Amino acid sequence: MKVVAFNLMPYKDLPADFETRYDSVWVTIPRTLYDPRKGHQYYHEYLDALETAVDLGYDAVGVNEHHSNGYGLMPSPNLMASILSRKVRHSDTTSVVVLGNSLALYNPPIRVAEEMAMLDVLSGGKFIAGFPVGTSMDTNYVYGINPSEMRERYYEAHDLVMKAWTTDEVFTWNGKYNQLRYVNTWPRTAQRPHPPVWIPGGGSVETYDFALLNDYSFSYLSFFGHKYAKKVMGPFWDRADALGKDRNPYRAGYAQFICVSETDAQAQIDYEEHVKYFFAKCMHIDPRFVEAPGYRTVASLRAGLRSQLDGTARFGKSVLDEGFGWKELVESGYVIAGSPETVREQIVEAARELHVGNLIWLFHCGSMPQHLSLKNLNLFAEGVLPHIRNLWPEWDSAPFWPSGFGDQPKPDARSDVA
Amino acid sequence: MANPTTHTYQVNARLAIDTLEAGSGEPLLFLHGAGGLAWDPYLDVLSEQRRVIAPYLPGTSKSNDISQVRDLWDLVLAYYDLLDALGVDRADVIGHSMGGMIACEMAATDPSRVGRLIAIAPAGLFDMNDPMPDIFAMRPAELARRVLVDPTSEMAKMLGAMPDDVDEQVEVLIQRLSTLNAAAKFLWPIPDKGLIRRLPRIKAPTQIIWGRQDGLIPVSYGETFRRLIPNARLEVLDQASHLVQLERLPDALKLTLQALRGPAGHAP
Repeated sequence: MKVVAFNLMPYKDLPADFETRYDSVWVTIPRTLYDPRKGHQYYHEYLDALETAVDLGYDAVGVNEHHSNGYGLMPSPNLMASILSRKVRHSDTTSVVVLGNSLALYNPPIRVAEEMAMLDVLSGGKFIAGFPVGTSMDTNYVYGINPSEMRERYYEAHDLVMKAWTTDEVFTWNGKYNQLRYVNTWPRTAQRPHPPVWIPGGGSVETYDFALLNDYSFSYLSFFGHKYAKKVMGPFWDRADALGKDRNPYRAGYAQFICVSETDAQAQIDYEEHVKYFFAKCMHIDPRFVEAPGYRTVASLRAGLRSQLDGTARFGKSVLDEGFGWKELVESGYVIAGSPETVREQIVEAARELHVGNLIWLFHCGSMPQHLSLKNLNLFAEGVLPHIRNLWPEWDSAPFWPSGFGDQPKPDARSDVA
Repeated sequence: MANPTTHTYQVNARLAIDTLEAGSGEPLLFLHGAGGLAWDPYLDVLSEQRRVIAPYLPGTSKSNDISQVRDLWDLVLAYYDLLDALGVDRADVIGHSMGGMIACEMAATDPSRVGRLIAIAPAGLFDMNDPMPDIFAMRPAELARRVLVDPTSEMAKMLGAMPDDVDEQVEVLIQRLSTLNAAAKFLWPIPDKGLIRRLPRIKAPTQIIWGRQDGLIPVSYGETFRRLIPNARLEVLDQASHLVQLERLPDALKLTLQALRGPAGHAP
């Protein structure tokens, strides 16, 4: 399988009473809580850690987009990816993933086609383009996109970006939401016909089909781990079967907090505080902003509302309110933590269960200090990565991973064999 | 209560609109608010004297989808098309909240189509010095507190009632969210879509009704409507919030029927 070292870049100094004193980590979080001097230090530490991940030979480094958010400090992930691409260009193994740009937020959307083409060229064709619909907090509440238009805007922007990437003639776009007399994006992408596309999503029925029908890789991004992800990945593969798509595990990825230490006991000593910071403070989201009316389609509502109403759905910091301690967080799969042996066993088991090829590894969690990020990255590279690389030897990752410059002879499709 | 009947009109090549109707006589159009259309005692009494036609906002009933309406202009034209389909040149129009905003747009865009206008706590403005709250970021309990003076009243319980069965709850919630989603098309992220520039175009005699304790759209907005609509009266009813026509039913009916008996706007 392939591993993306992924960092949300949270703010690490929210006050101890944050979750009781303030309404939300997102949308209305008081901006006076942000200290730019600390922010300066964290940005550079986070980038250092991601550069270390390149040195250690992870398959990719990943960043993503959030707005007015105390745990996701990349309103523009492309800025971070452009810095990382300077190092990625020299790597034989590591690509850079922007997971991604919420297409409906960009006006005009060809801005995404342009910036991602820049990243593709900067990195030397080692770039993966993520196109999320985006959360309701970011998209509807902070950026003001009308929820009744959001999906239409998203699909139209997608069609426009893809046409801009794959058309060599100047063309005119007459859409419902975008009209452009001259579409002619420079630079061209390095990869041909375009960078691989990943669709990060929270498990809406429409998103499975969209990813599958376009042969994009679907990434289930949740913070609740592999057991929770089964609810989504099961139906995803059912849809793949129904649509006649193969079960190449690289069609799918999922996000997981993983904390590696020398022993299982030491993992708790090292990471517990920082994991709890994440679930207590970073998941403290005002429920009024979680879902604008119409954010989910009727089909997805029908599939998801029941579990909300009968109380089986988990949300935010409610898991801690329910008395989740370290033991419960680990047992429920929210966090995979322990010695390299423990961790790799669980990763393999989870990956087989979910049938996923791409592991979006949340290697940083909550308030983790830099020395622990680096410890986690090093121990994983040494004691975990070599053991999970060859998990899917019969499958080719190439259709979903970067191919380098498209105008040169294609290098051999990279296989899983280390 | 009268039993309203449901009707579907193919108003133009692209759109069918569903309505609830009861009564006979001169047609009276009622445009509902963001909470959706329900046949209530206010409409019921009106239907004793007039033919009440209450269209469902596109996207809130079975025959259409909100994506079929492109923007506010498209919606206003669709409602003119509905009048055409009903064979009505000029109608008296009542609108509540979002429906009040759409009724004002209808009366301003083509003043010949609206005879008398009754706007009950209409949306459509936004005052940064007296901002209305965000109806799209509100828990049900907060919404109840904001739209009713007495959120513990029988009416409040009726409005918030939920079936016991989980599957039925799912369907009720889906209907509520779909209705709010369709409303968001015209109200997101704030309801100011330029109506303030068009209000002076309204020719119809206009009765504006507001609840003094309106917790959703401040009563100061009512004064702006009164000032900018050339032939408007504003009546502010005490001990009422945003659902003023139900909270103060007899007075709201009296004002409405009075306005409907008054002179209509210029004939087309």
